[in-house]
Amino acid sequence: MIEAQRLTKRYPDATAVDGVSFTIRPGIVTGFLGPNGAGKSTTMRMIMGLDRPTAGTVTVNGTSYARFRAPLGEVGALLDAKAVHRGRSAENHLLSLAATHGIARRRVHDVIEATGLSTVARKRVGTFSLGMGQRLGIAAALLGDPQTLILDEPVNGLDPEGVLWVRTLLRGLAAEGRTVFLSSHLMSEMALTADHLVILGRGRVIVDAPTREVVGRAQKAAVQVTTPMGAELERVLLRHPGVSVVVIDRGILEVTGIDAPRIAAAASVEGIVLHGLAPVHVSLEEAYMQLTADAVEYRSSSDLTDRVDSTDPARPDPSGPVSHDRTTGGSR
Amino acid sequence: MTAPALTRLPAAPRVTTHPATFGRLVTGEWVKFRSLRSSWAILALGVVLVPAFAVSRMTSIAQVPEAAGSASLVASVYVTSGTALTQLVFAVFGVMAIAGEYGSGQIRTTLAVTPGRIAAIGAKLLVTVLAAMGASIVAVAISWAASAPWFAATGMSIDLTNADDLRILAGVPLYLGAITALAFGVGLIVRSSAAGIAIVLGFLLVLENLLGVIPWEPIQAFAAYLPSSAGSRLLQSDAVGSVITTSNLTLLSPWAGYGVMVAWVVDILVVAFVLLRRRDA
Repeated sequence: MIEAQRLTKRYPDATAVDGVSFTIRPGIVTGFLGPNGAGKSTTMRMIMGLDRPTAGTVTVNGTSYARFRAPLGEVGALLDAKAVHRGRSAENHLLSLAATHGIARRRVHDVIEATGLSTVARKRVGTFSLGMGQRLGIAAALLGDPQTLILDEPVNGLDPEGVLWVRTLLRGLAAEGRTVFLSSHLMSEMALTADHLVILGRGRVIVDAPTREVVGRAQKAAVQVTTPMGAELERVLLRHPGVSVVVIDRGILEVTGIDAPRIAAAASVEGIVLHGLAPVHVSLEEAYMQLTADAVEYRSSSDLTDRVDSTDPARPDPSGPVSHDRTTGGSR
Repeated sequence: MTAPALTRLPAAPRVTTHPATFGRLVTGEWVKFRSLRSSWAILALGVVLVPAFAVSRMTSIAQVPEAAGSASLVASVYVTSGTALTQLVFAVFGVMAIAGEYGSGQIRTTLAVTPGRIAAIGAKLLVTVLAAMGASIVAVAISWAASAPWFAATGMSIDLTNADDLRILAGVPLYLGAITALAFGVGLIVRSSAAGIAIVLGFLLVLENLLGVIPWEPIQAFAAYLPSSAGSRLLQSDAVGSVITTSNLTLLSPWAGYGVMVAWVVDILVVAFVLLRRRDA
C-alpha cells in the first residue's frame, strides 16, 4: 500500500508534482501513466525518499520510506536502469546490495536466474544493452522479496519477449498479494498489464480509476466536426448530458457522447453552419493523449475561446507543451 | 521484511533480510570497492609511485659519495618522498569514490537501499579512507625494502625506535588517509568527478604551493595552516624541510600540523554531509 497525500514538488522555475494524492493498493498492478515530464519519476523518487517533497506526505505500508531499517525487504525499486556503476559486474552489484541487508548469496543467484541474466552476470554492466540493464534493475528490486514494488518504465528498452516476461512477472507478484506500482508513458502497454490506472498530467492526477473503466471511456466513438462557429456549437453540444468537446484546432472539434446525426440536428436547430462531420475511431493511445492534454483543453471549453496555448506563462512547465503529438522515449 | 509477511507467498523461497546496520553497509561498500577494476588500478598507481620515487632519489644520492653521512640525508624522508605524487593520485581516488556514483547514477541505488544517507555514505567514506591507508602502508613497506640496498652506500638508516623515523613512516598512511577523506568530501559537495578533481588538485598543486612561495610573511604563515602544508608537517624532518609543499615554516609542530589538517577534513566533511541530507539525490 502506497499512500500519497497532496504530494508536491516545486522547483524554483517549475512545479513538477502538484498536490498529488492517491492510494496504491496491494494485490493488483497499478499503472502510473503520463507523458514525459508529467511528474511520474519525481513522484516515485519522493516515495523512495530520494527527493524531498516541498509539501505533502507519502508512505509505504503506513511508514515513511526513510524510517525503514531494512528497505530492500519492504520496497523493491527500479527507478533508473542505469543507476548502476558501469564498471561493476551484475553479480557484484547484486552482491553489494545483498551485503547491506545480510541477504544470502543464494538469493542473489536466484534472482539472476529468474531475470535471465545468468550468462552475463559476470560481465561489466557498462557492456549491457538497455534491456539487460532493465533486467538487472528488476533483479535488484526482487532481491529482498519485498511486499511493494515500484518500477519506473520497466519495459523501456525490452524486446517483445522481455515485455511479456515483465507483464507476467508483475501480474504474478500482484496475485501473491503484493503492491505493484509501475510507470509508463505507453497506454497500450498499461492497458494489458495494469488493473488500475493513475494518470498524471502536468503534475496532477487526471484519472484514478480501474483500467477497464478508462479503456471503456477511451473507446467511445468520437465525431470530428468542422465548423466556422466552433464556440457556438460547443456551447450547444455541452447542454447535452455526457457530451464532451475537445477543440482540436481552430474550427475543428472532436465530440464524444453524441452521434453525428444528433450533432447535425442540434446544429441546424441553432442555425450553426457545419462544414464537415466525420466519425473518427479513437485509438486507446489517442484517447490517452487527449486525457493527458485535458488539463489544457478543458480550460478552452470553459472560457469558450480557441485552444489555450500551453505555453501560457501563468503555468510554466519544464516538459513543454502537452500536445497531441505522440511522446516517445524514456523518462529522463 | 519480517517473516509473517512472507507467509502469504508460499511459492517464493523464504528470503530473510536484516536491518541495514552500519557494519552491513561497510560490507556492502567493501564489495562495491573490490569489484571495481578502477579502484585497484588507481591504488596500485599510487603505491608504485612511492618506491619508484624513492629508488630514483637513492640512485642519484649514491652517485655523490661525498654526501654520504650528511645530516640532511634522512632515510625515512627519502623513502616516503613519493608521497608528494601519491597524494595527487589518492586525491583523484577520493573524489572518484563518491563522485563516480553520482556520475553513473549508482548513488540513487545506494541511497534507496539506505534512506539514512549519513550511514550509507559514511560507510563508503570509511572503506575509501581505509583502502587508501592500507595501500599507503604497503607503499611505505615496498619503498623501504626497495631503498634498503642503497642505505649502506649513502650512510642512511631507518630505526623504528627513533621517534622521528616512526612518525614519518606512520605519517604516510595518516597523511594520505586525510587527503583521501578531504577529496571525498569535496567530491560529495560538487558531485562531479571532473569538478572535484580540478578543485582538489588545484588546491593542492597550485594554491598551496603558490601561497607558500609568496615572500610575504603573513601569507606564508597563513599558507602553513592550509591542509596539505599543515598535515605534511607529519612527514617532515627538521633536517630536510618539506618535500610535499613549498611551505617550509615550522610554526606548527608535526602533530599540531596534522591536527590542523584533520580539522580541515572534518569541516569539509560536515559541510558535505549536511548537503547530502538536504539535497535531492
